Amino acid sequence: MNGDPYNPVVRDYFARPEHAGEVMGEDAAVAFFEDQGMRIRLSAKVAREDIKTLRFLAWGCPHVIAAAEAFCRRFEGRPAAELANFDASQLMRDLAVPVEKTGRILVLEDTVRSLRAAIQDRNTSQAQD
Amino acid sequence: MPAGEDFIYLDYAATTPLHPVVAERMQAVQSTAGFNPASNHVAGRRSAAVVEQAAAQLAALLNVAPDSLVWTSGATESNNLAIQGAARLRAHRGKHLVTMQTEHKAVVDVFKALEKQGFEVSWLAPNPDGSLAVTTLTAALRDDTQLVSIMQVNNETGVIQDIAALGAACRERNVLLHVDGAQAAGKIPVDLGSLPVDLYSLTAHKFYGPKGVGALFLSKGTALEPLMYGGGQQQRLRPGTLAVDLIAGMGEAAAIAGRSIDADLIHLGALRNQLLQGLRNIEGLHINGPVDGAYPGILNVGLPDVEGESLLLALEPLCVATGSACNSRSQEPSAVLRALGRTDIEAQSAIRFSLGRATTSMEIERAISLYQDAVLKLRELAPERAA
Repeated sequence: MNGDPYNPVVRDYFARPEHAGEVMGEDAAVAFFEDQGMRIRLSAKVAREDIKTLRFLAWGCPHVIAAAEAFCRRFEGRPAAELANFDASQLMRDLAVPVEKTGRILVLEDTVRSLRAAIQDRNTSQAQD
Repeated sequence: MPAGEDFIYLDYAATTPLHPVVAERMQAVQSTAGFNPASNHVAGRRSAAVVEQAAAQLAALLNVAPDSLVWTSGATESNNLAIQGAARLRAHRGKHLVTMQTEHKAVVDVFKALEKQGFEVSWLAPNPDGSLAVTTLTAALRDDTQLVSIMQVNNETGVIQDIAALGAACRERNVLLHVDGAQAAGKIPVDLGSLPVDLYSLTAHKFYGPKGVGALFLSKGTALEPLMYGGGQQQRLRPGTLAVDLIAGMGEAAAIAGRSIDADLIHLGALRNQLLQGLRNIEGLHINGPVDGAYPGILNVGLPDVEGESLLLALEPLCVATGSACNSRSQEPSAVLRALGRTDIEAQSAIRFSLGRATTSMEIERAISLYQDAVLKLRELAPERAA
């Protein structure tokens, strides 16, 4: 054990959060959650059922920022329906998140669920238009 | 730090690197005088002479008699011996003890343990700058108060307590004063020959000496109940064979500190001022502790809108501390900063820069740049709060 609380993936994603930012525009689907002393905002642009662009903003510890970046890398370019497959426990293993931070990753899970609902709402309203 | 290091070390309040002259002295003692100083033969007497020399060096730094010092393993042990030893010995006279909310864990936890054993502890609140008002102390003293414990230089904020005035208030009421001097001894002038202090804890590794050795000063006539038994060394107060090489190192470090304190304070004052000037334009930045009059080797700053753990990682390769260095892996907000009125988030975002003899102006410049960049990055990453 080298005493480093962050594995290389966390360090890499924290240092280079390529998906940090916001998707702007009226067609963006947005989800925001604030809990456990942290805040996460996810925004997505979806076209023909696929997530074309996925961005995050986060206020929290390095594991939370890395987790949000990992989520964006995993799902950008994928069908929106795959958001249902988001697996918080797998993410925790990949990032070696300490068990005491489980609640924070579950906040991300809640935000992902909220984003999924926002995308579905948007699709529904666009279909009605 | 030596050239070629891949980090910038600004955590001198946590520990200082061993001075090369101290290392040389310890090596020499290990090879020529590493015997039991309690042994009554020529080798033992050689080791005893080394211990006597170290005691003289440390005594000179503190302006006390060499035989008023007891060697320990460090400040934590010294604090335990002083506080538990005094409280237990005087318990038949009264069980009221006084300390501050902003003490180091090595003091706080001793008092908490004594509370569980039936002692009553008054936890004094600091002024907003971290100092303790003499009136606050005198108001807390009672007929059954036996011991007051106050640290001289706070390890998180650098605030320096007015030990002369606080000690005088204790003397008036015939109450013992213990001072945790871990961050003061060897760093600022400490004259225990004139200060009204009964017990004073210190450790070598805070002033470029080795880890694992410290001392406790006892004023003439101050008695303690020992924590350990066996052997009878050091007037039965702290038995066990002395670590002669570590003690020699502490003595050498004390001698070097005595010669360099004035120059160190000037050097650190200039660097702290440079750091402060470089950081103070950052929006929302506040200073934890006094701006003026603090120990110049420590500057503690915080922000209301930046997460502390992420800030610490974003600052790499800068080696600094959040909260108490001895407790730096904890997620708990600093009790010291909470006592100064900071919110949990403000306390968690606090960064303590602690500077040392080898710190350079260029390192401070780099630290300012890293801090500015880290704050900018984390602010850009942060979403607005919910309305």
